[in-house]
Amino acid sequence: MKPSHSQAIQSFARRLKFLSRLRAGVQMATLWFFIWGVIILAVRIAGTPQTEWLAFGILGFVPLVMVAGIRQRSRQPAFDKVRACYDRLKACGGVIMSEEAADMTAWQAHLPEASVPKLRWHSGQAMLLLSVSALFMTVALLLPERLTRFSSHRPLEIGRTVDQLQAEVQTLQQEKIVEDKKAEDLQKQLSQLKQDSSGLDPNKTWEALDHIKESNSDAAKQAAEEALNKMTELAQAETLAKAMAQAADSGMSEANATESAQDLASMLNAAKLEDGVLKGRLPPELLAGLNGLNKEQLEKLIQALELNKNSLGLTVSNLANLKLIDPALLSKCQNAGQCHNPGALAEYLSTCTNGCNALAECLLLCKGGPAAPMTWDNDTSEKDVKFQEHALPPAAHLSDAQLVGVSKAAPEPSGNDVAAGHDALDNAAASGGSAHSQVILPEHRQAVRNFFKRDN
Amino acid sequence: MPDTILKPEELQPAADLVRKILEQLDRILLGRRELHRLVLIGILSRGHVLLEGLPGLGKTALVRTIGQILKLDFKRIQFTPDLMPGDVLGTHILQETSSGKRELTFQPGPVFTNILLADEINRASPKTQSAMLETMQENSVTLLGTTRLLPQPFFVLASQNPIELEGTYPLPEAQLDRFLFRVLFDNVDTEVLDRIISERRRGELPAPTWQMEREQLETLFQTMERIYLPRPVSRYIARLVSATHPGGAEATEPVNRYVSYGASPRAAIAIAEAARAHALVAGRPSVGFEDVKAVTAPVLNHRLILNYQARFDRMNASKLVAELLGRLDETGLNLPKDVVLATA
Repeated sequence: MKPSHSQAIQSFARRLKFLSRLRAGVQMATLWFFIWGVIILAVRIAGTPQTEWLAFGILGFVPLVMVAGIRQRSRQPAFDKVRACYDRLKACGGVIMSEEAADMTAWQAHLPEASVPKLRWHSGQAMLLLSVSALFMTVALLLPERLTRFSSHRPLEIGRTVDQLQAEVQTLQQEKIVEDKKAEDLQKQLSQLKQDSSGLDPNKTWEALDHIKESNSDAAKQAAEEALNKMTELAQAETLAKAMAQAADSGMSEANATESAQDLASMLNAAKLEDGVLKGRLPPELLAGLNGLNKEQLEKLIQALELNKNSLGLTVSNLANLKLIDPALLSKCQNAGQCHNPGALAEYLSTCTNGCNALAECLLLCKGGPAAPMTWDNDTSEKDVKFQEHALPPAAHLSDAQLVGVSKAAPEPSGNDVAAGHDALDNAAASGGSAHSQVILPEHRQAVRNFFKRDN
Repeated sequence: MPDTILKPEELQPAADLVRKILEQLDRILLGRRELHRLVLIGILSRGHVLLEGLPGLGKTALVRTIGQILKLDFKRIQFTPDLMPGDVLGTHILQETSSGKRELTFQPGPVFTNILLADEINRASPKTQSAMLETMQENSVTLLGTTRLLPQPFFVLASQNPIELEGTYPLPEAQLDRFLFRVLFDNVDTEVLDRIISERRRGELPAPTWQMEREQLETLFQTMERIYLPRPVSRYIARLVSATHPGGAEATEPVNRYVSYGASPRAAIAIAEAARAHALVAGRPSVGFEDVKAVTAPVLNHRLILNYQARFDRMNASKLVAELLGRLDETGLNLPKDVVLATA
């Protein structure tokens, strides 16, 4: 059954309404996808944690499409316009439009057959935009995190380095190697570096860290050297004190005892225990009465010397644990001033006459005794060894050389492979004797430094 | 208004009369079907028509034939530079009465007729041209304080020659605006020329085989009064005329660029009337958009005042009107560009 013109107009109006709503919905969805994509990107670039909720924002287009539909409802064309449009499309010559004024049934026979006009939406561009915006949003959502933070502040991974440096500074402060104020400044500086470091400009950070590391290391080395010296002196003084105590039991003469006490005093003075960064301390009453110490006082002195030596050893050990000093230096400190034969010194002190030189004897004993004679009776055998003769090119005589200039500066780096002519390096593939320099990036400095600091 | 819309049986007699008039015109004047319809539409709209074309294209013949078919009084004035207003309107002359008294009596000019052919109207002086203003607008002549009505119906069918413009006086805008249509006469094709040569010895036209009675003409005018103009169509006409004004809400870019002054409200009325007549000629009781489109060009092409830029760019009013008709959405639905309508 074919529809009447009024039915066709109603149907046409409905189609028009549906199409306008669909079109507005697509536009709204496009706009929403684009806006939400931008929001997703902004949130992710800002580094907001836990962005899973952004995925639910996609559903935001549903209420928007509904709003667009409601808005289109209020904007839909008036019925008389739709009827006029139908009249024009069907070439009814105003007869259909005249229904607004009178009944035009009598003219129905003169009108073309009723049918609903076709509405065609060329939706290619709209659909393309919708697809692009949806794709944009999806990409924004699924983009790897490392790509979304390209422009944001990216801190350097220096946490462990800073922690280590802070521990070093703390140890140096505890051991009184670094003053409290300076140590606090360094701690603050390290905290600030940790906070402000940026992956976009790491040079400053790495240089500052290297500087602190170097200053820590220098301070630790200085302290370790000082500790080594003091421990050596203290060990020798301890050896002498022990020998004096043994010699007193063996009947050491009064003159020898006095001389030995003077030597002991001069050794303790040479140790300069109370100077430098690692300050030690001996009981003042013992130091005041060094010339007339009895056995009991000597025992106390020995204990005080041992205590100071242990304290220094502990400090050096702490520094070594933090790798601030070379482990070899630690072992040196542990063996510092050890005497191989302390009994011999006691015997010397009790037996020597006409002026004992306890100090010289002590030093001789502690440094390992007299030097061994050198022997040359184990030559390398050249039996069955063949040597290949290699003729060197004639060298240019020095008188032929031409002086270009004299400079105290280091040779300039040069990229040219210009070999020095007429000398032994004529055929060498080296770079002509010019200095070769390799730029070491700040982040690689520590690795390079560690490589050259290897134990073996 | 609803009761005034014509029913098919009411419209049929008028439609038959129109058909017969056009048949006679097409039979007598060969190859001018569209032109005949336009001139008839002009007469049904009680408007004046300006015919523009080269000599020998049949302008006078057309007017004379219409006069014969409609059985209306027909006069012709050949406009020349020395033609005076009195030669057109009439003049007072001193005459002796039977009683021996002398008094001024009015001697009507050729304008007192039903159909006036003003031949080469642009050759008369502005003074004489302006003498036509009152006759064309008011259908009356006022001389020495006395207004005399012209016989009804009164139509001016003026012709002007677009060449040999030396010694001519272009019609002022005020007078141009009084013409309902400006119809351009163009050359006929070879086929028609062949028929004219073989069937019209010495150019003599055959006599009409049918003539309309005065009452029948009245019937036509009465039927015209009942042709219905729907609101969407009248709104379209209003939008169309507004769009001819530069800076108008729906003015197109060429209008803004080339038009100095757009069409007057008289033009809108003229379009509406002409569209009604077009609907009657098409045998319909109401005006459709296609009726408006059919008459818009001849109504507007002499009413748009273009600027110098248009002259430089060889733009004319006809092109502008065609462009405007193509761009303006008739119904005002203003569907988006990507939505296309098509009949099923």
